[in-house]
Amino acid sequence: MAREFIPGIFWIQECGANLNDLASAMSQDSHNWYRARREVHIPQNAYLFVGEKSLLFDTLSPASSEQIIAELRHILGDRPLDYLVVSHTDTPHAGNTFKIQREYPQTRLVAPRYGDAHELYHLEDALKVGEGDVIDLGGFVLKFHEATFLDAPISVWMTEEKTRMLLPVDWIGMPHMDGECLKCVDELDAVVDVDRLLQFHGRVFFWLQYVNASKIIAEIDRINRHFNPSIIAPAHGLVIRQDASRYMNMMKTVVQVISDHGRIGVVG
Amino acid sequence: MQARPILRPTINLTTDVEWINECFPTQGRHEHVSVYLIRSGEKYIIIDSGSYYHRESIRVRILAATSQSGPGAIILSHADYPHAGNVNTFRREWGEIDVIASSGVPELQGLPYAKKSRIGGSQDVFGRKFSFIDPPLADRSHTSWIYDHASGVLFTADGMGNYHRPGQCGLTFGEFPGGVPLTDIYDFHRNALVWLRYVDPARLRAKLEAIYSQFDISYIAPIHGNPIAVKDLEAFMDRLIETASRIADEYKVDT
Repeated sequence: MAREFIPGIFWIQECGANLNDLASAMSQDSHNWYRARREVHIPQNAYLFVGEKSLLFDTLSPASSEQIIAELRHILGDRPLDYLVVSHTDTPHAGNTFKIQREYPQTRLVAPRYGDAHELYHLEDALKVGEGDVIDLGGFVLKFHEATFLDAPISVWMTEEKTRMLLPVDWIGMPHMDGECLKCVDELDAVVDVDRLLQFHGRVFFWLQYVNASKIIAEIDRINRHFNPSIIAPAHGLVIRQDASRYMNMMKTVVQVISDHGRIGVVG
Repeated sequence: MQARPILRPTINLTTDVEWINECFPTQGRHEHVSVYLIRSGEKYIIIDSGSYYHRESIRVRILAATSQSGPGAIILSHADYPHAGNVNTFRREWGEIDVIASSGVPELQGLPYAKKSRIGGSQDVFGRKFSFIDPPLADRSHTSWIYDHASGVLFTADGMGNYHRPGQCGLTFGEFPGGVPLTDIYDFHRNALVWLRYVDPARLRAKLEAIYSQFDISYIAPIHGNPIAVKDLEAFMDRLIETASRIADEYKVDT
Protein backbone atom coordinates (compact mmCIF):
# COMPACT_ATOMS: atom_id res chain seq x y z
CA MET A 1 0.00 0.00 0.00
CA ALA A 2 1.26 3.49 -0.75
CA ARG A 3 -0.03 7.01 -0.26
CA GLU A 4 1.24 10.34 -1.55
CA PHE A 5 0.60 12.19 1.68
CA ILE A 6 2.55 15.24 0.63
CA PRO A 7 3.06 16.10 -3.06
CA GLY A 8 6.14 14.15 -4.07
CA ILE A 9 6.45 12.17 -0.82
CA PHE A 10 5.08 8.66 -0.83
CA TRP A 11 4.41 6.60 2.29
CA ILE A 12 4.77 2.89 1.51
CA GLN A 13 3.43 0.75 4.32
CA GLU A 14 3.70 -2.94 5.14
CA CYS A 15 1.01 -3.65 7.70
CA GLY A 16 1.57 -7.37 8.01
CA ALA A 17 -0.70 -9.88 9.66
CA ASN A 18 -2.74 -9.33 12.77
CA LEU A 19 -0.57 -9.50 15.88
CA ASN A 20 -2.83 -11.95 17.70
CA ASP A 21 -1.06 -11.82 21.05
CA LEU A 22 -1.08 -8.03 21.09
CA ALA A 23 -4.73 -7.86 20.02
CA SER A 24 -5.61 -10.36 22.72
CA ALA A 25 -3.73 -8.34 25.32
CA MET A 26 -5.55 -5.18 24.26
CA SER A 27 -8.87 -6.95 24.58
CA GLN A 28 -8.24 -8.00 28.15
CA ASP A 29 -7.81 -4.55 29.65
CA SER A 30 -9.19 -1.12 28.95
CA HIS A 31 -7.20 0.77 26.33
CA ASN A 32 -8.73 4.01 25.15
CA TRP A 33 -7.31 3.69 21.65
CA TYR A 34 -8.36 0.10 21.01
CA ARG A 35 -11.74 -1.09 19.74
CA ALA A 36 -12.86 -4.62 20.57
CA ARG A 37 -12.17 -7.43 18.10
CA ARG A 38 -10.13 -5.21 15.82
CA GLU A 39 -6.86 -6.42 14.36
CA VAL A 40 -3.62 -4.88 15.58
CA HIS A 41 -0.70 -4.11 13.28
CA ILE A 42 2.77 -2.75 13.83
CA PRO A 43 3.88 -1.71 10.38
CA GLN A 44 7.13 -1.30 8.52
CA ASN A 45 7.22 1.98 6.59
CA ALA A 46 9.38 3.11 3.72
CA TYR A 47 9.27 6.66 2.37
CA LEU A 48 9.92 7.62 -1.25
CA PHE A 49 10.85 11.21 -2.05
CA VAL A 50 10.42 12.18 -5.69
CA GLY A 51 11.81 15.54 -6.73
CA GLU A 52 14.08 16.05 -9.71
CA LYS A 53 15.80 12.98 -8.29
CA SER A 54 14.35 10.22 -6.14
CA LEU A 55 15.30 8.69 -2.80
CA LEU A 56 13.85 5.70 -0.97
CA PHE A 57 14.30 5.56 2.81
CA ASP A 58 14.22 1.93 3.99
CA THR A 59 13.01 -1.11 2.07
CA LEU A 60 10.23 -2.89 4.03
CA SER A 61 10.83 -6.47 5.17
CA PRO A 62 11.50 -9.57 3.02
CA ALA A 63 7.88 -10.56 3.56
CA SER A 64 6.92 -7.63 1.29
CA SER A 65 9.57 -7.85 -1.41
CA GLU A 66 7.04 -7.97 -4.22
CA GLN A 67 5.07 -5.09 -2.72
CA ILE A 68 7.96 -2.66 -2.53
CA ILE A 69 9.10 -3.43 -6.07
CA ALA A 70 5.55 -3.07 -7.40
CA GLU A 71 5.06 0.24 -5.62
CA LEU A 72 8.35 1.60 -6.90
CA ARG A 73 7.51 0.59 -10.46
CA HIS A 74 4.08 2.18 -10.18
CA ILE A 75 5.30 5.45 -8.68
CA LEU A 76 8.54 5.90 -10.61
CA GLY A 77 7.45 4.46 -13.95
CA ASP A 78 10.44 4.77 -16.26
CA ARG A 79 12.34 7.03 -13.85
CA PRO A 80 15.35 5.69 -12.04
CA LEU A 81 15.63 5.33 -8.29
CA ASP A 82 18.57 7.61 -7.63
CA TYR A 83 19.25 6.85 -3.96
CA LEU A 84 18.43 3.98 -1.64
CA VAL A 85 19.01 4.77 2.03
CA VAL A 86 19.06 2.06 4.67
CA SER A 87 18.41 3.65 8.04
CA HIS A 88 20.01 0.70 9.80
CA THR A 89 20.85 -2.89 9.14
CA ASP A 90 17.79 -4.57 10.64
CA THR A 91 16.12 -6.92 8.18
CA PRO A 92 12.67 -5.27 8.40
CA HIS A 93 14.35 -2.05 7.24
CA ALA A 94 17.11 -3.22 4.92
CA GLY A 95 15.98 -6.71 3.93
CA ASN A 96 15.03 -5.83 0.35
CA THR A 97 18.20 -3.91 -0.45
CA PHE A 98 19.55 -6.49 -2.87
CA LYS A 99 16.21 -6.91 -4.67
CA ILE A 100 15.83 -3.16 -5.11
CA GLN A 101 19.40 -2.86 -6.35
CA ARG A 102 18.71 -5.56 -8.94
CA GLU A 103 15.56 -3.73 -10.06
CA TYR A 104 17.37 -0.38 -10.14
CA PRO A 105 21.03 -1.20 -10.82
CA GLN A 106 22.02 2.46 -11.07
CA THR A 107 20.73 3.37 -7.63
CA ARG A 108 23.30 4.73 -5.19
CA LEU A 109 23.22 2.83 -1.92
CA VAL A 110 23.43 5.14 1.10
CA ALA A 111 24.23 3.85 4.58
CA PRO A 112 24.98 5.30 8.00
CA ARG A 113 28.62 6.09 8.62
CA TYR A 114 28.22 5.28 12.31
CA GLY A 115 29.21 1.94 13.77
CA ASP A 116 31.77 -0.34 12.23
CA ALA A 117 32.05 -3.68 10.42
CA HIS A 118 30.06 -2.38 7.48
CA GLU A 119 31.52 -5.24 5.45
CA LEU A 120 29.55 -7.71 7.52
CA TYR A 121 26.39 -6.10 6.12
CA HIS A 122 27.57 -5.68 2.51
CA LEU A 123 27.68 -1.91 3.07
CA GLU A 124 31.38 -1.31 2.48
CA ASP A 125 30.78 0.38 -0.87
CA ALA A 126 27.76 2.43 0.16
CA LEU A 127 27.87 6.21 0.36
CA LYS A 128 28.31 6.80 4.10
CA VAL A 129 26.31 9.61 5.61
CA GLY A 130 25.93 11.19 9.01
CA GLU A 131 25.45 14.45 10.82
CA GLY A 132 25.92 17.32 8.41
CA ASP A 133 25.55 15.34 5.20
CA VAL A 134 22.93 16.43 2.70
CA ILE A 135 21.33 14.99 -0.43
CA ASP A 136 19.50 17.58 -2.53
CA LEU A 137 16.92 15.96 -4.75
CA GLY A 138 15.79 19.22 -6.31
CA GLY A 139 12.51 19.91 -4.57
CA PHE A 140 13.47 18.09 -1.39
CA VAL A 141 16.58 18.46 0.76
CA LEU A 142 17.38 15.45 2.89
CA LYS A 143 19.70 15.88 5.84
CA PHE A 144 21.21 13.08 7.85
CA HIS A 145 21.67 12.93 11.61
CA GLU A 146 23.27 10.74 14.21
CA ALA A 147 20.44 8.57 15.52
CA THR A 148 19.55 9.38 19.11
CA PHE A 149 17.56 6.32 20.16
CA LEU A 150 18.69 3.29 18.24
CA ASP A 151 19.30 -0.44 18.37
CA ALA A 152 21.92 -1.14 15.72
CA PRO A 153 25.07 1.01 15.95
CA ILE A 154 25.01 1.41 12.15
CA SER A 155 22.02 3.78 12.24
CA VAL A 156 20.99 7.18 10.97
CA TRP A 157 18.02 9.50 11.26
CA MET A 158 16.92 11.81 8.44
CA THR A 159 15.06 15.09 8.06
CA GLU A 160 13.52 16.83 5.07
CA GLU A 161 14.12 20.56 5.15
CA LYS A 162 11.16 21.96 3.21
CA THR A 163 8.49 20.02 5.10
CA ARG A 164 10.37 19.99 8.44
CA MET A 165 9.87 16.26 8.50
CA LEU A 166 11.75 14.08 10.94
CA LEU A 167 12.26 10.37 10.18
CA PRO A 168 13.30 9.00 13.60
CA VAL A 169 13.21 5.40 12.39
CA ASP A 170 12.23 3.13 15.30
CA TRP A 171 11.38 5.98 17.69
CA ILE A 172 7.75 7.07 18.03
CA GLY A 173 6.37 3.84 16.68
CA MET A 174 2.87 2.73 17.55
CA PRO A 175 0.40 -0.03 16.76
CA HIS A 176 -2.67 0.66 14.69
CA MET A 177 -5.94 -1.15 14.10
CA ASP A 178 -7.27 -2.50 10.83
CA GLY A 179 -8.88 0.41 9.05
CA GLU A 180 -6.17 2.78 10.24
CA CYS A 181 -3.50 1.66 7.76
CA LEU A 182 -1.90 4.59 5.93
CA LYS A 183 -3.91 7.12 7.92
CA CYS A 184 -2.18 10.05 9.51
CA VAL A 185 -2.72 10.45 13.22
CA ASP A 186 -4.96 13.50 12.72
CA GLU A 187 -7.29 11.39 10.55
CA LEU A 188 -7.96 8.75 13.17
CA ASP A 189 -11.18 8.28 15.07
CA ALA A 190 -9.27 6.69 17.95
CA VAL A 191 -6.68 8.49 20.04
CA VAL A 192 -2.94 8.21 19.92
CA ASP A 193 -2.22 8.47 23.60
CA VAL A 194 0.56 7.51 25.96
CA ASP A 195 -0.80 3.98 26.17
CA ARG A 196 -0.72 3.43 22.41
CA LEU A 197 2.88 4.62 22.27
CA LEU A 198 3.69 2.48 25.31
CA GLN A 199 2.41 -0.66 23.59
CA PHE A 200 5.15 -0.26 21.01
CA HIS A 201 8.05 1.13 23.00
CA GLY A 202 7.38 -1.10 25.99
CA ARG A 203 7.92 -4.11 23.76
CA VAL A 204 10.60 -2.89 21.36
CA PHE A 205 12.72 -0.46 23.38
CA PHE A 206 13.33 -3.10 26.03
CA TRP A 207 16.47 -1.31 27.24
CA LEU A 208 14.42 1.55 28.63
CA GLN A 209 13.89 -0.62 31.72
CA TYR A 210 17.60 -0.29 32.55
CA VAL A 211 18.09 3.44 32.09
CA ASN A 212 18.23 6.66 34.02
CA ALA A 213 14.84 7.92 32.90
CA SER A 214 15.62 11.58 33.60
CA LYS A 215 18.52 11.44 31.17
CA ILE A 216 16.29 10.06 28.43
CA ILE A 217 13.69 12.73 29.17
CA ALA A 218 16.33 15.42 28.87
CA GLU A 219 17.36 13.89 25.56
CA ILE A 220 13.76 14.04 24.32
CA ASP A 221 13.68 17.73 25.17
CA ARG A 222 16.91 18.19 23.25
CA ILE A 223 15.71 16.49 20.08
CA ASN A 224 12.40 18.33 20.30
CA ARG A 225 14.29 21.65 20.42
CA HIS A 226 16.89 20.64 17.88
CA PHE A 227 14.60 19.24 15.20
CA ASN A 228 11.35 21.06 16.06
CA PRO A 229 9.57 18.90 13.51
CA SER A 230 6.27 19.71 11.87
CA ILE A 231 5.90 16.15 10.68
CA ILE A 232 7.11 12.88 12.20
CA ALA A 233 7.37 9.95 9.78
CA PRO A 234 8.25 6.89 11.85
CA ALA A 235 9.32 3.48 10.62
CA HIS A 236 6.82 1.57 12.75
CA GLY A 237 3.86 3.88 13.19
CA LEU A 238 1.47 6.37 11.64
CA VAL A 239 2.59 9.71 10.28
CA ILE A 240 2.15 12.64 12.66
CA ARG A 241 1.60 15.90 10.77
CA GLN A 242 -0.05 18.06 13.43
CA ASP A 243 1.16 19.02 16.88
CA ALA A 244 4.28 16.87 16.60
CA SER A 245 5.82 18.23 19.79
CA ARG A 246 2.85 16.98 21.80
CA TYR A 247 3.64 13.40 20.81
CA MET A 248 7.33 13.94 21.48
CA ASN A 249 6.39 15.10 24.98
CA MET A 250 4.14 12.07 25.48
CA MET A 251 7.22 9.95 25.03
CA LYS A 252 8.57 11.30 28.31
CA THR A 253 5.71 9.62 30.14
CA VAL A 254 6.19 6.46 28.09
CA VAL A 255 9.83 6.32 29.10
CA GLN A 256 9.03 6.89 32.76
CA VAL A 257 6.43 4.11 32.77
CA ILE A 258 8.84 1.60 31.22
CA SER A 259 11.60 2.67 33.58
CA ASP A 260 9.27 2.25 36.56
CA HIS A 261 7.50 -0.95 35.55
CA GLY A 262 9.76 -2.73 33.09
CA ARG A 263 9.23 -4.20 29.67
CA ILE A 264 5.55 -4.90 29.03
CA GLY A 265 6.02 -7.69 26.52
CA VAL A 266 7.34 -8.58 23.11
CA VAL A 267 6.04 -8.13 19.59
CA GLY A 268 4.41 -11.24 18.19
CA MET B 1 34.47 -10.68 0.11
CA GLN B 2 34.74 -13.66 2.43
CA ALA B 3 37.57 -14.59 4.74
CA ARG B 4 39.88 -17.27 3.45
CA PRO B 5 38.86 -20.50 5.20
CA ILE B 6 41.42 -22.05 7.48
CA LEU B 7 40.51 -25.36 9.10
CA ARG B 8 41.06 -24.84 12.78
CA PRO B 9 39.68 -27.16 15.43
CA THR B 10 36.77 -26.06 17.52
CA ILE B 11 37.47 -25.23 21.15
CA ASN B 12 35.79 -27.26 23.87
CA LEU B 13 34.12 -25.23 26.58
CA THR B 14 32.39 -28.23 28.15
CA THR B 15 32.24 -31.88 27.13
CA ASP B 16 29.44 -31.16 24.68
CA VAL B 17 29.70 -27.45 23.86
CA GLU B 18 32.31 -26.28 21.37
CA TRP B 19 33.28 -22.78 20.39
CA ILE B 20 33.68 -22.05 16.68
CA ASN B 21 35.66 -18.85 16.98
CA GLU B 22 35.80 -16.59 13.97
CA CYS B 23 37.22 -13.08 13.97
CA PHE B 24 36.73 -9.88 12.04
CA PRO B 25 39.52 -7.27 11.98
CA THR B 26 38.45 -3.86 13.20
CA GLN B 27 40.79 -0.91 13.70
CA GLY B 28 43.83 -2.89 14.75
CA ARG B 29 41.98 -5.34 16.93
CA HIS B 30 39.68 -8.29 16.32
CA GLU B 31 36.00 -8.80 17.04
CA HIS B 32 34.66 -12.32 17.34
CA VAL B 33 31.70 -13.34 15.23
CA SER B 34 31.31 -16.77 16.73
CA VAL B 35 29.10 -19.81 16.44
CA TYR B 36 28.70 -22.44 19.15
CA LEU B 37 28.19 -26.14 18.49
CA ILE B 38 26.34 -28.39 20.91
CA ARG B 39 26.39 -32.17 20.70
CA SER B 40 23.25 -33.87 21.90
CA GLY B 41 23.65 -37.59 21.50
CA GLU B 42 24.09 -38.23 17.79
CA LYS B 43 22.70 -34.84 16.81
CA TYR B 44 24.15 -31.36 16.72
CA ILE B 45 22.77 -27.93 17.40
CA ILE B 46 24.41 -24.65 16.53
CA ILE B 47 23.82 -21.39 18.35
CA ASP B 48 23.65 -18.73 15.62
CA SER B 49 24.97 -19.34 12.13
CA GLY B 50 27.70 -16.71 11.91
CA SER B 51 28.41 -14.18 9.22
CA TYR B 52 28.54 -14.75 5.46
CA TYR B 53 32.05 -13.35 5.80
CA HIS B 54 33.19 -16.52 7.59
CA ARG B 55 30.78 -18.86 5.83
CA GLU B 56 33.21 -21.33 4.31
CA SER B 57 35.38 -21.52 7.42
CA ILE B 58 32.37 -22.11 9.65
CA ARG B 59 31.06 -24.70 7.26
CA VAL B 60 34.25 -26.78 7.11
CA ARG B 61 34.73 -26.55 10.86
CA ILE B 62 31.18 -27.73 11.51
CA LEU B 63 31.65 -30.61 9.10
CA ALA B 64 34.88 -31.65 10.80
CA ALA B 65 33.34 -31.43 14.26
CA THR B 66 30.17 -33.33 13.35
CA SER B 67 31.81 -36.16 11.41
CA GLN B 68 30.50 -34.58 8.21
CA SER B 69 26.84 -34.76 9.26
CA GLY B 70 26.22 -31.07 9.95
CA PRO B 71 23.75 -29.65 12.47
CA GLY B 72 20.16 -30.72 12.82
CA ALA B 73 19.04 -27.46 14.42
CA ILE B 74 20.00 -23.81 14.53
CA ILE B 75 18.94 -21.73 17.52
CA LEU B 76 19.21 -18.03 16.72
CA SER B 77 19.82 -15.44 19.39
CA HIS B 78 18.46 -12.87 16.95
CA ALA B 79 18.23 -12.34 13.23
CA ASP B 80 20.92 -9.70 12.77
CA TYR B 81 22.99 -10.52 9.71
CA PRO B 82 26.26 -11.54 11.45
CA HIS B 83 24.20 -14.05 13.41
CA ALA B 84 21.71 -15.33 10.85
CA GLY B 85 23.69 -14.74 7.67
CA ASN B 86 24.31 -18.40 6.91
CA VAL B 87 20.96 -19.90 7.83
CA ASN B 88 19.67 -20.23 4.29
CA THR B 89 22.97 -21.55 2.98
CA PHE B 90 23.20 -24.16 5.72
CA ARG B 91 19.61 -25.20 5.14
CA ARG B 92 20.34 -25.73 1.46
CA GLU B 93 23.43 -27.77 2.29
CA TRP B 94 22.19 -29.80 5.22
CA GLY B 95 18.54 -30.18 4.42
CA GLU B 96 15.62 -29.63 6.72
CA ILE B 97 17.35 -28.08 9.69
CA ASP B 98 15.07 -26.86 12.45
CA VAL B 99 15.52 -23.13 12.87
CA ILE B 100 14.41 -21.76 16.20
CA ALA B 101 14.19 -17.97 16.34
CA SER B 102 13.12 -15.59 19.04
CA SER B 103 11.63 -13.12 16.62
CA GLY B 104 7.94 -12.66 17.27
CA VAL B 105 7.32 -12.39 13.53
CA PRO B 106 10.00 -14.51 11.80
CA GLU B 107 8.85 -13.71 8.28
CA LEU B 108 9.79 -10.06 8.82
CA GLN B 109 13.32 -11.25 9.52
CA GLY B 110 13.44 -13.30 6.33
CA LEU B 111 12.90 -16.52 8.31
CA PRO B 112 9.38 -17.65 7.37
CA TYR B 113 10.21 -21.28 8.13
CA ALA B 114 11.51 -20.61 11.66
CA LYS B 115 9.85 -21.99 14.75
CA LYS B 116 9.28 -19.29 17.31
CA SER B 117 10.85 -19.45 20.70
CA ARG B 118 9.35 -17.28 23.39
CA ILE B 119 11.43 -14.89 25.43
CA GLY B 120 10.83 -16.07 28.97
CA GLY B 121 9.98 -19.59 27.87
CA SER B 122 11.76 -22.88 27.33
CA GLN B 123 11.96 -25.38 24.53
CA ASP B 124 13.25 -28.90 24.08
CA VAL B 125 15.62 -29.44 21.16
CA PHE B 126 16.90 -32.97 20.57
CA GLY B 127 16.28 -33.84 24.19
CA ARG B 128 17.99 -30.76 25.61
CA LYS B 129 16.14 -28.04 27.41
CA PHE B 130 16.90 -24.47 26.39
CA SER B 131 15.55 -21.43 28.16
CA PHE B 132 15.19 -18.09 26.41
CA ILE B 133 16.01 -15.15 28.64
CA ASP B 134 15.01 -11.51 28.28
CA PRO B 135 18.48 -10.03 27.80
CA PRO B 136 19.71 -6.98 29.71
CA LEU B 137 22.48 -6.42 27.19
CA ALA B 138 21.33 -6.54 23.59
CA ASP B 139 20.63 -4.31 20.66
CA ARG B 140 17.64 -5.86 18.84
CA SER B 141 14.35 -6.14 20.70
CA HIS B 142 13.76 -9.72 19.61
CA THR B 143 17.07 -10.95 20.99
CA SER B 144 17.07 -13.70 23.56
CA TRP B 145 19.89 -15.04 25.62
CA ILE B 146 19.89 -18.82 25.41
CA TYR B 147 20.60 -21.09 28.37
CA ASP B 148 21.47 -24.73 27.77
CA HIS B 149 20.37 -26.52 30.93
CA ALA B 150 22.48 -29.61 30.27
CA SER B 151 25.82 -27.81 30.04
CA GLY B 152 25.08 -24.64 32.01
CA VAL B 153 26.33 -22.49 29.15
CA LEU B 154 24.59 -19.13 28.76
CA PHE B 155 24.83 -17.80 25.21
CA THR B 156 24.66 -14.02 25.47
CA ALA B 157 24.43 -12.88 21.86
CA ASP B 158 25.75 -9.29 21.58
CA GLY B 159 26.18 -8.82 25.32
CA MET B 160 29.21 -9.58 27.51
CA GLY B 161 31.56 -9.14 24.56
CA ASN B 162 34.96 -7.58 24.00
CA TYR B 163 37.54 -6.79 21.38
CA HIS B 164 40.79 -8.75 21.42
CA ARG B 165 44.15 -8.74 19.72
CA PRO B 166 45.66 -11.13 17.17
CA GLY B 167 46.85 -14.21 18.98
CA GLN B 168 44.06 -14.02 21.55
CA CYS B 169 41.36 -15.39 19.27
CA GLY B 170 41.12 -18.80 20.97
CA LEU B 171 41.49 -17.79 24.60
CA THR B 172 38.84 -17.77 27.26
CA PHE B 173 38.67 -14.77 29.59
CA GLY B 174 40.67 -16.57 32.27
CA GLU B 175 43.46 -17.45 29.85
CA PHE B 176 44.37 -13.80 29.39
CA PRO B 177 47.02 -12.72 31.92
CA GLY B 178 44.82 -10.79 34.33
CA GLY B 179 41.70 -11.36 32.22
CA VAL B 180 40.44 -9.41 29.24
CA PRO B 181 41.52 -5.79 29.67
CA LEU B 182 38.88 -3.32 30.74
CA THR B 183 39.54 -1.15 27.72
CA ASP B 184 38.60 -3.96 25.32
CA ILE B 185 35.35 -4.59 27.18
CA TYR B 186 34.62 -0.86 27.39
CA ASP B 187 35.33 -0.11 23.73
CA PHE B 188 33.19 -3.02 22.56
CA HIS B 189 30.15 -2.13 24.63
CA ARG B 190 30.42 1.58 23.89
CA ASN B 191 30.46 0.85 20.17
CA ALA B 192 27.97 -2.01 20.02
CA LEU B 193 25.35 -1.01 22.60
CA VAL B 194 24.96 2.72 22.15
CA TRP B 195 21.99 2.88 24.55
CA LEU B 196 24.39 2.23 27.42
CA ARG B 197 24.98 6.00 27.43
CA TYR B 198 21.69 6.18 29.34
CA VAL B 199 22.13 3.12 31.53
CA ASP B 200 21.70 2.97 35.28
CA PRO B 201 24.55 0.58 36.18
CA ALA B 202 22.86 -0.58 39.37
CA ARG B 203 19.79 -1.73 37.44
CA LEU B 204 21.97 -3.54 34.95
CA ARG B 205 23.90 -5.31 37.69
CA ALA B 206 20.70 -6.29 39.50
CA LYS B 207 19.23 -7.85 36.37
CA LEU B 208 22.42 -9.77 35.59
CA GLU B 209 22.71 -11.06 39.14
CA ALA B 210 19.09 -12.18 39.04
CA ILE B 211 19.90 -14.23 35.95
CA TYR B 212 22.96 -15.74 37.62
CA SER B 213 20.83 -16.67 40.64
CA GLN B 214 18.18 -18.32 38.53
CA PHE B 215 20.44 -20.30 36.20
CA ASP B 216 23.37 -22.51 37.21
CA ILE B 217 25.99 -21.16 34.85
CA SER B 218 29.19 -22.90 33.78
CA TYR B 219 30.21 -20.51 31.01
CA ILE B 220 29.13 -17.22 29.54
CA ALA B 221 29.41 -17.60 25.77
CA PRO B 222 29.14 -14.32 23.87
CA ILE B 223 29.05 -14.14 20.10
CA HIS B 224 31.38 -11.13 20.07
CA GLY B 225 33.78 -11.96 22.85
CA ASN B 226 35.99 -14.47 24.61
CA PRO B 227 33.97 -16.99 26.66
CA ILE B 228 33.96 -16.53 30.41
CA ALA B 229 34.14 -19.49 32.79
CA VAL B 230 32.01 -19.06 35.88
CA LYS B 231 35.13 -18.87 38.07
CA ASP B 232 36.08 -15.67 36.20
CA LEU B 233 32.60 -14.17 36.10
CA GLU B 234 33.10 -11.89 39.09
CA ALA B 235 36.21 -10.39 37.55
CA PHE B 236 34.38 -9.83 34.28
CA MET B 237 31.36 -8.34 36.04
CA ASP B 238 33.51 -5.79 37.84
CA ARG B 239 34.87 -4.64 34.49
CA LEU B 240 31.46 -4.73 32.84
CA ILE B 241 29.83 -2.57 35.49
CA GLU B 242 32.75 -0.16 35.41
CA THR B 243 32.32 -0.09 31.64
CA ALA B 244 28.65 0.74 31.97
CA SER B 245 29.35 3.45 34.53
CA ARG B 246 32.02 5.06 32.36
CA ILE B 247 29.88 5.02 29.24
CA ALA B 248 26.96 6.59 31.10
CA ASP B 249 29.11 9.15 32.91
CA GLU B 250 30.89 10.23 29.74
CA TYR B 251 27.71 10.99 27.83
CA LYS B 252 26.15 14.32 28.66
CA VAL B 253 22.86 15.42 27.16
CA ASP B 254 23.26 18.82 25.54
CA THR B 255 20.85 21.03 27.43
